Amino acid sequence: MTSCAIVGGGLAGFTVHATLRHGGLATGEIAVFGDNPDPAAVWQRRAASIRQREMRSESDGHCYPTSFPGLAAREALRRRTPGPVLRSVCDRYRPSVDEFLAHVERLREHSGWDESFHRARIERIRAVPGGFELEGHGVFRHVLVAPGHPGLARPFELADDPRAVHAYEPHPYAARVAVVGAGMAAATEWRNALETGSTVASVRRREPERRPLNLPRPLFTRRGLAGFHATPPAERVEMLTRLSKPSYPPGQSWDEPLERARREGRFAVAGAPSDADQIICATGFRRGFGHDRLLARLVNEHGVDTAGRWIVLAPDSTVPALTDERRTLALAGAPAQWAFPAADTLVGMKFAAHAFLRRVSRCPTR
Amino acid sequence: MSYTLKGRLQSRLATALLPFAAACVLAGVLQAWWPLALVGLMVAVGLALEGGLLHRLLPYQPGWVALPLGVVELLATMGLARALSVDAPVRLALAFFVGSWVVSQVVLHAGLPLLHLSYAEDGGELGRAGLVVAAVAPTALALVVGVAWTTQPPTVHLAAGFHRGPIVLDRAQTLEGEPGSVVRGGIRVLADDVTVRGVTVLGGEYGIDVDGAENVVLEDVTVSGAELDGIHVRRSTVTIRDCSIDDLRSPYAQGIDISFGFDLGPSSVRRCTVRGGLEGIATHFVHVELEDNRISSTQGRGIAMTEMSMGEIEGNEVIGGLGVGIFCGDYSHCRIDDNTVRRTRPDMASGDLTRLGYAIQAHYGATATLGANSVFESPGGVGAVLGARLERE
Repeated sequence: MTSCAIVGGGLAGFTVHATLRHGGLATGEIAVFGDNPDPAAVWQRRAASIRQREMRSESDGHCYPTSFPGLAAREALRRRTPGPVLRSVCDRYRPSVDEFLAHVERLREHSGWDESFHRARIERIRAVPGGFELEGHGVFRHVLVAPGHPGLARPFELADDPRAVHAYEPHPYAARVAVVGAGMAAATEWRNALETGSTVASVRRREPERRPLNLPRPLFTRRGLAGFHATPPAERVEMLTRLSKPSYPPGQSWDEPLERARREGRFAVAGAPSDADQIICATGFRRGFGHDRLLARLVNEHGVDTAGRWIVLAPDSTVPALTDERRTLALAGAPAQWAFPAADTLVGMKFAAHAFLRRVSRCPTR
Repeated sequence: MSYTLKGRLQSRLATALLPFAAACVLAGVLQAWWPLALVGLMVAVGLALEGGLLHRLLPYQPGWVALPLGVVELLATMGLARALSVDAPVRLALAFFVGSWVVSQVVLHAGLPLLHLSYAEDGGELGRAGLVVAAVAPTALALVVGVAWTTQPPTVHLAAGFHRGPIVLDRAQTLEGEPGSVVRGGIRVLADDVTVRGVTVLGGEYGIDVDGAENVVLEDVTVSGAELDGIHVRRSTVTIRDCSIDDLRSPYAQGIDISFGFDLGPSSVRRCTVRGGLEGIATHFVHVELEDNRISSTQGRGIAMTEMSMGEIEGNEVIGGLGVGIFCGDYSHCRIDDNTVRRTRPDMASGDLTRLGYAIQAHYGATATLGANSVFESPGGVGAVLGARLERE
């Protein structure tokens, strides 16, 4: 019998699937519902659009269920050099995008992902006695929803501007480029456009923070999470809003090209993209469950608790009102930030996956 | 990784399990307690650092920090081992520490994440396994301390007053004299791991006779009126400290004689006072350290390291001896440094030209390496005879 369903066939769903397989579930016990059998397809398209070459994540940024061996150890073994491990020990290891995609491909084959995958879009999840009914696909005791980001965010004032393109959509670079935004994608686009010889105007409302990972490191483990989980809802909303401000890593490889271009008069911070030939919106994704039809419907039909734009989750990423000893409804990826602020990172996906596996393993009727 | 406090402590205890097992095996093989004492100190230092310092100082701990921390832990552990007199050979102890550190790092970064799926996000906490580890660690400690306690040699207290000797110690034990305890007729030590402390010995053929015994400690003992040697050691290893010997009856008696144990471990004599005797301290074919002793009024030599002995003669005071103050003879190798020799008298009656009041003498093929010694009123001065050599540091 298929006991577990994963709604969403992206990297979050893929990570959860690999973790369940590691936990002893057969491919036949897991059903994955998604649009594309390639779990990296959506991510790869975005990475290619911004010409991303390296991951922001470090050695732990992978989809394997255990943190060891990470990508650094595997690369060191494959290339027979201690370099990646030594760089990882100093937090200087960033796997290349190719390295990451190759690992996804290997894990896809090894985990039997394709045997569990069903090409289908789930539009509605309904709680029923003993589980959840996924419209037209039956009832499952344990369901994890990983729908990904609910679309790209564009400034409304640029909605009809023919010069505007989103950073995560394929695009060339014009002679005069304005990049709206100040996060990782924006920083990557500054560099890309400068490399092609463009003049770049950085349009931003605030100065970006500089940090190696999306969030301060303690928030990736129980050390920081214990305090986060103990924070009252109103404060937690404020905290999540604050944490979602744009940032990109510190380091010469980012600063040096910008400084050089600034000296040459090819890079400047501007208030508006007025005279640009092209406007690249590095403004990330729409935020909040309200933009996702499946989640919005789930909240409306089942009276699920929410706070601000977030669905209120238990610390283990489950929806408290719909989870008990015999059934589980959990979220992973971007919508799971209430449980793990960096839920849309690979480490965050693993956090939700591990918690889901614990739930499934403990269930007496799995 | 960003460890929680619980995670730090649990991880530290978990990574100590393999070194602890290795220490148990090593202790069994070497028949020594130091591996267990060392691993205990390593764990104690580690836990103290984790709980007292690192948790507050390092909200996030990058991997490379393990290296400088390892050096700090090494220094703290070895310093504590020295302060607590853990009797560990330095090279072996260093090798054990380094090996344990490497194993711990492998377990920490590879083993625990493989065994406990959410190890990284749990901040080093081990879930149920952590509770087991937390229970096993004090149990193991109690077990080791218990075994160490029960296998310690018993202590026999000698009450104040006179006791009839000779007392024969033929099994491991500590003989501890209360103030005023006196043994008439000598003490014989015939077993390993014997300690004699705080006892006065009167008479006896030898005051204290140690024969075929290793790891013997004679501490704060007084020997007086022995018919032959004050302390007589054969084929044994001894540590003698803070002793006093006088009133030897035979003109051929030595204050302390340690002989024929070169194939055993080194012996030592420290802070002892010997008055009279043919030789104050004599050693034959042993490896020995003689430090900070006070020898006076000897009739043959104050200190004699001879018959292919090897060792240090350092910080001693030799006063009023007849013939020779410090003697290094018969192919021995002696390092002689920081000693003071006064008033060594020529032994004219012997007609022996090698006994003309030498403060320090190398004799018959011996090599004496000299440091900064002080010589006063000794007409023979410092010299080498019969193919012996003097070398300066």
